[in-house]
Formats: sequence, structure tokens, C-alpha cells
Amino acid sequence: MEITPAPVSRRRFLQASGAAGALGAAGLGGGLFTTLRPSAAQTSASRDTAPETRITKNICHQCPARCGIDVYTTDGRVHAIYGTSDHPIANGKLCPKGPLGTYILYDPDRFKGPMKRTNPKKGRDQNPRFVPISWDEALDTVAERLNTLRDQGESHRFALCYGRGWGASDAGLLGNFGALYGSPNVPIGHSSMCSDGSIQAKKALDGVGGYNAYDYANANMLLMFGVGFLEAFRPYNHNMQVWGYIRGERVPKTRVTAVDIHLNTTLAGADRALLIKPGTDGALALAIAHVILTEGLWDRAFVGDFRDGENRFQAGRRVNPASFDEKWVSGLVDWWNIELKDCTPDWAAEITTLFARDILATAREFGTTRPSIALFERGAHAHSNGLLNGMAIHALNALVGSLYAEGGLMSQMGPSYGPLPADAEDYKDDYANNGPWKNRPRIDLKGDKDGYLLARNMLQELGPNSLAGKPYKLDTIMFYTTNPIWTAPNGQVWEEALKELFVIDTSPFPSESALFADLVLPEHTYLERLQDSPTYPFQGWPLTQLRVPAIEPLYDTKYFGDTLIEIGKRIKGPMGDYYRALDNSENVLRHLAQGFADDPGDNGVNSFESWKEKGVWYKKPYIYRQVDGEFRQWDGRDYNLVMSENEVKENLFKTPSGKFELRSSWLEEHADWIAEKTGRDRDKLMFAHWEVPQHPGGGDLYMVTPKVAMHAEGRGANIPVAIATLQPVLGGRSTAYIEINPKTARARGIANGAKVRLRSDLGSIEGYCKYFEGCRPDTIVFPMEHGHWAMGRWAKGRLPEHCGDITVNQSDRVTGQCSYYTTKVTIEPA
Amino acid sequence: MNNAHPQTSPPAPATHDPAQDLANKRLAILIIALVGLLLAGGQTLANLATQGHAAFNTTNLGLFWGLPIVIYDYFLLTSTGLAMVASLAIVTGAEEFRPVLRRTVWLALAGLLGGVVVLMLELGHPLRALWAVPFSFAFSSPLYWKVMAVSFYVLSLLVLLYRLLRTHWTLQSLRPYALVALALALSVTAIAGVVYGSQSFRPFWASGDIPVAFIFESLLGGLAFIYFFSYLAYAFNPKWMPADLRHLFDTRLPTLLALAIFIHLLFVVARLGSGLYGNAEGLQVWQYLASSPLLYLELFVGLLLPLILLMLPQTRTYPAVQIVASLLVMNALLIARYEYIIGGQLVPLFKGAWAPDLINYVPSMTGWLLLLVAIFLSNAVNAFGELKLGLGSNEQ
Amino acid sequence: MAKWGMVIDLDKCTGCQACTTACTMENNRLPGEHWQDVLFYHEGTYPNVKLMWFPRPCMHCENPSCVSVCPTKATYKDPNGGFVLMDYNRCIGCKYCQVACPYGVRFYVDEKAVVQPDIRGAFPSDDGRQWDPPYKGPQDDPSRGIGIQPHGVVSKCTFCYHKVSKAPEGVADLDEDIPELKEYVPACVRVCPPKARFFGDLDQPESRVNRLIADQRGVRLKDETGNKPQVYYLSGGASASVPSLRSMAAAPAPEDAADTINEISDTASRSA
Repeated sequence: MEITPAPVSRRRFLQASGAAGALGAAGLGGGLFTTLRPSAAQTSASRDTAPETRITKNICHQCPARCGIDVYTTDGRVHAIYGTSDHPIANGKLCPKGPLGTYILYDPDRFKGPMKRTNPKKGRDQNPRFVPISWDEALDTVAERLNTLRDQGESHRFALCYGRGWGASDAGLLGNFGALYGSPNVPIGHSSMCSDGSIQAKKALDGVGGYNAYDYANANMLLMFGVGFLEAFRPYNHNMQVWGYIRGERVPKTRVTAVDIHLNTTLAGADRALLIKPGTDGALALAIAHVILTEGLWDRAFVGDFRDGENRFQAGRRVNPASFDEKWVSGLVDWWNIELKDCTPDWAAEITTLFARDILATAREFGTTRPSIALFERGAHAHSNGLLNGMAIHALNALVGSLYAEGGLMSQMGPSYGPLPADAEDYKDDYANNGPWKNRPRIDLKGDKDGYLLARNMLQELGPNSLAGKPYKLDTIMFYTTNPIWTAPNGQVWEEALKELFVIDTSPFPSESALFADLVLPEHTYLERLQDSPTYPFQGWPLTQLRVPAIEPLYDTKYFGDTLIEIGKRIKGPMGDYYRALDNSENVLRHLAQGFADDPGDNGVNSFESWKEKGVWYKKPYIYRQVDGEFRQWDGRDYNLVMSENEVKENLFKTPSGKFELRSSWLEEHADWIAEKTGRDRDKLMFAHWEVPQHPGGGDLYMVTPKVAMHAEGRGANIPVAIATLQPVLGGRSTAYIEINPKTARARGIANGAKVRLRSDLGSIEGYCKYFEGCRPDTIVFPMEHGHWAMGRWAKGRLPEHCGDITVNQSDRVTGQCSYYTTKVTIEPA
Repeated sequence: MNNAHPQTSPPAPATHDPAQDLANKRLAILIIALVGLLLAGGQTLANLATQGHAAFNTTNLGLFWGLPIVIYDYFLLTSTGLAMVASLAIVTGAEEFRPVLRRTVWLALAGLLGGVVVLMLELGHPLRALWAVPFSFAFSSPLYWKVMAVSFYVLSLLVLLYRLLRTHWTLQSLRPYALVALALALSVTAIAGVVYGSQSFRPFWASGDIPVAFIFESLLGGLAFIYFFSYLAYAFNPKWMPADLRHLFDTRLPTLLALAIFIHLLFVVARLGSGLYGNAEGLQVWQYLASSPLLYLELFVGLLLPLILLMLPQTRTYPAVQIVASLLVMNALLIARYEYIIGGQLVPLFKGAWAPDLINYVPSMTGWLLLLVAIFLSNAVNAFGELKLGLGSNEQ
Repeated sequence: MAKWGMVIDLDKCTGCQACTTACTMENNRLPGEHWQDVLFYHEGTYPNVKLMWFPRPCMHCENPSCVSVCPTKATYKDPNGGFVLMDYNRCIGCKYCQVACPYGVRFYVDEKAVVQPDIRGAFPSDDGRQWDPPYKGPQDDPSRGIGIQPHGVVSKCTFCYHKVSKAPEGVADLDEDIPELKEYVPACVRVCPPKARFFGDLDQPESRVNRLIADQRGVRLKDETGNKPQVYYLSGGASASVPSLRSMAAAPAPEDAADTINEISDTASRSA
């Protein structure tokens, strides 16, 4: 699409003297001399035709929401980003981070091309002394290392970790790479440092093991636990669009109760704000469940009922399981008998420090104002009791029957991709099928009974494990969209670990981990990429979208998908053939898009070309729906096809019983291991129950570091506009203030605005604090954004120092969730 | 005057030639002023060339007019004050002021120059102002009128000065020129007050009486400056001062100065009193000022003390007392102007949590350098006049 | 001849600052010097704290106090659309308009940069402007305050004049959800996810902005100044509210009254 604006006005004045030129070069200067330098028209004023503007499609990179964006390029300069109008997530809108993408493209601190390290010493104060090399040399170096390891039967010592993988043409290629090459450590995703706590908690109950998609627009009540709905919860942009609708237009207005540990916009915008003690959301959820049952507010069509219709749930009284006929849940009465019967509002009030009357009111509202959704992520589950908190909260959705219902929550469908150009199975040699690597545990001990048997990933353990040599030491490690030195808790251990390894980094930016790299293979920034990305869980129906380059790459960088394919081509044996068959990432994408020919999107996208033009393929509606306890499937016109129990078990409740298991058979199956590792009661561990969280660190205040609206993944620390708007509540515009309750501060002799020191068992950091009455007296809060010692000129050295340096690496023993928000610290004047 | 060269004349007798000594001292003052101007001015220009306006501590949070504007207004209103004293004396036929008339008018011009140069260094486009303001006909803008009034004020002073520098003049003959200069000086002062007083949503500034307060403050400044700079002209040696000047300084002038201090004090205390009572937004600055020692320094040491000294018969005729009193008043006026201009901006404008409750403004190094520039420049011009123009002469 | 006005629904506004960054990038503002800003206020004692936020563009007043004080008529009210604009070529940088504006919407950016190092050093200009970022937009109209801000002048929100002025004649509302109109909509309005901002012609009785103001009792900020802004706020009291004091940021407890919190300068906020 071309847009040709009217010609810009042109005025030419006398040019300035030479002094002005010199000052201009310094970038500063003014005052008296400015008069000598009147405003001349700046851009393309010498041309006779109006500048032409191209719009290309892309996907914003700054959070997982994946808003489709229109990228405006004029005269080779990318100068504006707006949300794509006909993209279902963006709808023409953007969150505050979206427009900053042009800055990321033109970030002056970007790597300009592949480089190798010449300073053998690695450390925070070491200059890597990178020298530029050619791509051939870089890729050959990597391949040589990998081939050598394979030849020595040590291919397991190559690990590839990734953070924000996007789709089939990048992270999606990694599984095959690992299987063909022969390493259990390729790939290792970051999900344990993300929100696996909710994924596994939900899996324990409904067997799905994924984030939920939500139908907020049709819900009548939202109960949010530790969710920055108006700050960071994904898809953030769309959440705010929905907010405008449900709170500003919809009749009736959707009721919102928000639970968190400090006052933020989400709580301020809600109808009811509950300032809860950190780590105790599970107790609140259990009490709500208790009230729903005792007051008879559960959805009988979905849950089931007492045979004679008389509600026997009374506080403290056991119930005979035989008296209750369950429909789509299992283990409800067992759960009541073993835990819920004593979880009264008063009981929860003491644990959570909330008022019992508020707990009661919340429960009643959640139970009566249906459809209602209980949602949560890290705030509630990034603690030692996180699995149990998560289960308690998610169970609430079952009690009110919102699973797969209109106005409820569901699981996300994937896109109709065509097959890849080649099938990896056909290219596995003996080594891939039977090599010694198959007997090796993963380096992060995911899936290992000595490690985290039930976790999906344990990225935060990789560094410490390799350093300790347990289960073994790695040799070579490669990073894609991840910066573990900084994002892992207690990253100092990673620094030591990486000193021993050959590190390959693919980031475009000089991250902390990149500065420890031996080889830098920088990839394009997103506005330069051709890349796919299926949607993050959104509204259930499938959606996948495309990044189309707005301009030619600015520097000598290479898209990660292509880097991987090029490395693959250089591996000896049939693996090389496989990657030659894939050829390049564009070829991969073309093959994927072939699937659209048989399943065109609602907007007509049925080919690679049309996908590039529109930027997105999607197909509504979500094909499953639960209505009054009956599961239906879409038949093309309505939800007419009633699903059998088997069909529900296969597609929706993927548990052994095919039901929503309030008594989790998955956990029960591993009861021995769980009991041994957590010390939990064997009779209780398969139910959501209250467990006092263990807080490491040795301090007396909870240290919580939430994401804020300006937190652009991987880059916010070096975007000056993001820095300047990072913390509007307290006015943090060149630093982020540490929020502290005034009473707490005064008791420790800390003045408002003073420099403070936070201490845990791991060490101390410094920063400036500000009094905030919206902060709990037992908690201090600040966003995790600053404290970098690399990343670029604006990021470097900005206070407060990095919270990760004093965050203890503690993970939920079952889900593997890295518990960032659970360390306790002390605070004193610095 | 006898300008004998030391090398060519025989060794001087034991007694010094006072005229020659005075000339040497005046030359020394000129040289000091020029050297100071060179150093302060050079550093200022260097700072401005490398940092531009970032050399100042003004920000967009609400403190837009910082120390440089304070300096400019201070020098401008001192200039008009001097002009008003001189022209009032001429218009009322006050013969005893004859000894100071030339000096006063010359000093008015010197002060104005110092202030305007500082303003030029502060403005974004100072040279553009020379044509953009006069030809804008922005009749609604107090600053437009200020610029126009100052332009004509300068012309009227130059004419008056020209007449005064002639060897023969009478107060009577100067009357029409003095009247014009007086009217313009009053206008400039009053308009300068309107610049602030018209800002109705800044209760710290906004008041109808501000132009009047400025006029009296200006007169006070004029009187104090006359004292100090006359003594300076005679190198602080009263023995070198002519008798009629001493007479003026010991009889009429202390009374006038004391009266002016008193009136100014009335204005200050009245504003302070009303301001401290007020709850309206913007008036919390008064509480802030009242809790800082600067205000009390200004009131007690800068105004009350000189007032007492100038009223007590035992002290009022001592040259040392007169010098100290005028110096204290000059500083008190600078403090007052600073607190007024800065105070009206300390409450931030719709910046929410981005700004503190009260902006914490501290002048930058370049700001202070500008004060030195203004002082040295005015002094250099003034010293030049003393040396070459015979400002102390009052021949009829 | 339109009289463009803006309506901001405080009940829907989520305080995300998308309007701020969209404006900043569209108009190449320097970090921290935001023509459009969302201001946060809070009041109360734990646990009963009221958090409020308030989007604040230039009000494009009907009786602008900034226009009346400008000694060179560099800032002016454009009768064709009701914009209050800057002529960069007439401004002498005296800052009286900044002093006179009750809403704090004007910016002189030659001071120390809010975020260090100064981004202008990373993207220097060689034609006399403050800087020359690679992502600057093609629009440039110094006589209307559009384009990279030159040295020594004051700038302010232009209601995206460079977009709005190209809208077809007679359109009552510039709605970003209408594809044909979306390129003419001011950046802050276009990007707002909860659709809390509206832009339309106040002189057309049937425009949506007029209807919103009437139906939902839209108010002007600080009406007592008599400036009569063309930006109206809707507040049903559900979330944010119109601040009553322009300085009402963090209301300190009485014992903290003497504390004057210094804004932490960027230099101080960097570790040694």
C-alpha cells in the first residue's frame, strides 16, 4: 500500500557558519550561536517529487502478545509503527512499547556483524575485544566444534538455550536439530523462567499443560491473582482494548477484582483491590472455593450435584463422596474432606492479611456473577507453594463452569501449517538414533528424578549444573533470544559457568551474556526479518502471522533460522542433507504457508504471498464450547455437534479420567517422588491445599519485581523513551525507585528519596527509594529493568542495581518454576 | 588634570597628588572589571558553546526562568531605579543631587547593558529578537511592551546623558528630558511588574500591586546604588569626595534611603503575611521560603539593619556605615528578586509524579558566572565613565 | 472551518502511556520531553490509597494564555481548525509561553537531557536542528512547529496538524477505526487501546465529541483559568479523575511536609 502525502514545505535560509557545523557534529551547542543557524527544512527538501511511503506488515517483538503492526518506510527510513487495523490482536492499536520498534532497529549499540572474541578473559569488567569475521568463518567455527563433539561421542555437551522463540522458522527448527545432531540439550527453552508454574498447575488439573486463551469480552466477572492486566499481562494491547469495552461500553459492566501485593493501575481500575501477602494467593483461592461450596454457588450443570439436591458442604464437616454425583470434575468431595472444609474466610484472612468480609464478598461475587474467570500467572505461583496456589485458583474456574464456556477460558488451537520441506525422521543416522547421548540426562536435569522430574524446562539450573559438573560439564553453549546472566536469579553463577564454556550468542545487542561470548552471530532486528509466529494463547481460534522486512538489513546480520540452517548444512552426515533440503528460512515459510491453500483464513489468506500482504492468517471461531455442562463442537454454522466423553478426553480434558481432576492423577502417579522431594503429605499432595511458602534470602521484607508497561523484552533497558516513562506512578524517569511503605521506611531510618541498600544472603545492591503508601509494609517493589552492566549506553550502570544479583535461585520443586518474587531481603540507608 | 609620567618627572615630593592617585585607582578598578569580565565571560561563552542551554539548571518541570532572568530583571530594574532617582531630582529641582546626576545616569546605562547582555546569553534566539519583537505588534503581550518601552527608555537616557555631559547645564533646562526619562523608567518598571503580576493562576506572583511594589523596590535600588558607586568612584576614600557630595550623603540621602527601605519593607511584610495565610495552590511556596534562612537574612540583615543604621544619628553619617548599608540593601534586593521570580515557579505545572511537590532549583555554575559577567561588565562601563567622562563633575 | 477538539474518557483510560510513546515517536520528541504525557497522582494511607492517572495533551485552548503573552507572535491560534501552533522561525526562546501556560504542555529542550547520555549525541544533526534520528518522520513544517525541534525555541503538541490538516473537508470525527480516515487521526488517539480518546469537530453539532461531552458531562481542566481548553475529560468516577491540584503528586504525611524530594538527576542515578 502506498501513501503519498502532500509535498512537505520547503524553505531554505542562509546556511550557518562553520561554527554551527562543528557544533552540529558535537550534537550539542546552542545559546548565542543558535541565531546563526535558522531552521532549514531538513529532509528530502531537494527532491521535486513527494516522498513515497511503503507499509509492510510485521509483528511487534517487545512482548509475546504478537500484535500485528504496520511499518511505515519513507525514503528508506523506517519512521512509524502503528497497529495493523485488520489484525485481530492489534485492531489498529498498540501498547506503549509498540511505537518504539523503530528505535530498536536503529539502536546505535547494535552489533554490526559476526565477531569473535580475542580477549580470553571473561568477566564483568573485561572487554571481549571482539574482532569482525566473515559469516563463513563464523559458521565454520561453530560447525567444527559441533562436529568434533559428535565425533568424540560428546554431542550432549552442546546446549542451545532460547528465550523468546517465535515460531516454526526459528525455535520450531530446534527440536529437529537436537534430534538429528544428538543432544538432549537442544533446545532448552526458558519456560521455567517464564510461567511454567501455571502451565503445570493447570496440567495437573485439566491435562492440557498450556496457557489459557480467554473470552474476556463475554465474561461478567474477572478475578485476577497477581496479574498485571493493565501493565503486562499478555496480550497486553488486546487486554486494554477489551478493558475499554468491558469497563466502558458493555452493559452490564464486567466486574473486576484484582489481587496483588502493591497498588498498580490494575488494582486501581478494578472494583475491588485486595492487597495480599506475597505467596498466599492459594489460601485466598481455597477460601473462595470453600464459600462457593458452602453457599451452593457452584455450577451444577458442569460440576454435578448431591443426589438429593441438598447441599451438605458445611464448614468443618466431612461429606460422604457417594452422596455427590460428579459430572465433569473428579475428586471434589475428596478435596473438600481433606482440605477445603477448613478453609474458611476467617482462616484465609489471617494468612493473607486481607479482611474476611472482602474474601467473602469476592467469593460470592465470583460465584454468582457468571460467567466468571479466575486468572493468574507468576505473582501467584512463583513461590515454593506455587503449584498448589495455581491449582487452587484454576480449580475455581471448574467450580463455576467457565471451562470452554462462552465468557470463560479455553486452550489455544494451532495454525494449519503445511509440512516442512523435509521430514527429519528420514535423515537420522545411527548416532542420532542410538548414540551415547541418548543415555545422558539433560544438563538442567529436567525430567530426571534427581532433578526436576515433572518440569518442562529448568533453564535456571543449567548454569549452576554445568559449573558444578553435575550431571556433567558442557563444552559449547549457544544462546538465542536469551540473556541468562541477567535474567537468571543469582546470575553471578552463570558468569562463572560461562567462563568455562565456548559461548555462541546470536543477539543483535551487546547483552551481558553476549559479552561473555566467544562467537557473536548477530541476527536481524525484527523489522528486518522474514519470520513466522503463531499466536500466543489469545482467544482460542488459530492465528499465525508473519514478519516481513521493512528494509534491507542495516548491518551484516543473519536471521537466526538461517543461521541454524547454515550450521546444520555443515554438520557431517545426513543431517547436512536435511538442512540442504530445508535450504533457507524463506523456503521453510513457503512450505508452511502451503497449508493455507486447503484452509484459507477468514481474511482470504491462502498462500505465502497473501500472507505477506495481510500479515496474518486466522480462522474463527473456536471450535469447542461448553454449554450448560454439555460439550459441543462447531459444525460450520453453530455449536451443534455434541461431543462424546471420549472426544472431550482426547481434545479438552487430557487427563486419565477425561475429567477436570480436582484430585490430580498426574500428581498422584508421581506421589513417591513428590513426597520425597517436597515432604508433602502423601494424602494431600494431589489436591490443591495450603502450604506455607519458604522464602529464602534471610531478610524480613518480600522483594517483588513486577513487569511494567514499558518493559520491552530484551531491550527496554536501552530505549531512552522507555527509560523516561518507566515508572510513572513514582516518577521514575531516569531511574526506577524502590517502592517502600513509609512506615517501614521510617522504622529503618530511611528518608523519602534516599539511597538504600538491599541485602540478601547473596549480597547487596543499591538504588534510590521512594515512599509509596500503596506498597504493603512487609514488601518492597521495583520493576526489573535497570541494573545492567552491558546492553548499551543507556542501560549501562543505571540504578537500581540488578535485583537478580540478590535473588536466590529457588524453584518450585514440582513445576520447576523459577521463583523470582520469593526472596526476602533487608533494607537500610546506603 | 596633571598627567605627569613618573619616568620623565623628577622624584615626587613626599605628598601624593590626590587627583593622580584617584585616577590610578579608577584605572585599577577598570582593569579589574575588564579582567573579571574576560574570565567570567570567557568561561560563560565556553560553557554555552559546548553545552548550550544545558549549562543552566532550568527544566521543563516548571522552572523556566532561572538565575539569568533574575539577573536581567535585577539589573534592568536597578537601571530604571537609578534613572527614576536622577530624573525625579531634576524634575523637582533638587539641587543637592547635582553631584550625582551624571554618575547616576551613566550607571543606569551601564547596568542596563549588563542586564541586557545576560538576557541575550539566555535567550534561544537573541538576535532574532531584535526584529521579531518590534515588528510583531503583539499588543497583548507584556513582554512586547517591555521591549518597546526599554528601547525608548534607552534613547531617553542617552539624550539625557548627552545633555548632562555638556559643560554647562541647569536642572531647569534638563527638565523636559528628565520628564520623558522618568515616564519611561516608570513604564518599564511597571510593565516588568505586569509581566509577573498578570499571571493570574500563579497566586505567588499575581497581584495588581506588583507594578507598584516594583517601582518602590526599584527606587530603593537606585538610591542604594548611588551610595555605593559614588564611594567606589572615589575608591572608598571619603577625603577625596567633594564637599557637596558629602553633604548630600550625610543629610538628604540617608533619610531618603531609610524611607525607601521602610516602604519596601512594608510591601515585603504585607505580601509575606497574606501569603503565609493563604491555602491557594501556589502559595505553599511562602511556607517554604519562610523556613529557609535566606528570607530572614534578607529581612533582618539586608533591610532592617540598614534601616536602623541610617536612622540613628550616631551611625548615619559614617562612610563605612553608608557603604555597608547600601551593600546590604543591594544584596537584599537581589535575594528578593530571586525569591520572587523563582518562587512563582516552584510549584510544578501538571507534571504529576514526574516532578516533586516543590521543584528544587539550584542555579548552575554558568548562572552564577552570568551574575559575574553582569557585574563586571556594568562595572567596566561604569569605571570607564568615571575615568574618562568626568562623571563626578557638576559644573554649572 | 473546523474547531478540532479532543475527548478523553478517564474511565476507560488504562494509564498505559501508549499515547505518550506514540506521540513521542510520531513527533520525534526527546525522551522525557513528552508533548503528550500521562500524569500519575496518588493520595491516601495504606491500605486505602487512591491512585489516579491523567492523560494531558496540549489543550489547544480557545483563549490561550500562551498566545497572548508571546512577544513575537511566534505562537498563534490558527482559526482554520482551532489549532494553537508554534512558528519555529519567529520564536526567540524567551519562554514566556511556558510560564503562562497553566497546563505545562510546552517544551524547551535545550536543557540537560532527562536521560543520559543525551540521545542527540548519538544522532547528531548537521543542519542546525537539535538532532537527526534515523527514524524521524518525513513531515516538516517549521512555521507550524512540525518536524525536529530547532535550537532555542519552544515546542508543543500540534494535535498532529500534519495529519489532521489533510483530512477531507467537513468530516465531523476523525475515527481511527474507519480505514479511510485512520491516517488523519492524531497519533495519541489512533493508538489508544481502550479507545479512550476521541477527536472531532466541536463546531459541528452532530459530531461524536460534542455528543460525548454533553451526554457524559465532559469537563475542562482547570476551567477557572478561563483559557477554555478544547480538550474535554469524561469521568464517571470509576477510575482516574481530574486532578484538583496541578501539583498533587505524592501527598506527603504531615511529618514529611518539610521533605522536598529532589528529582534524581540522571547522573546520580548511574552507579559510579
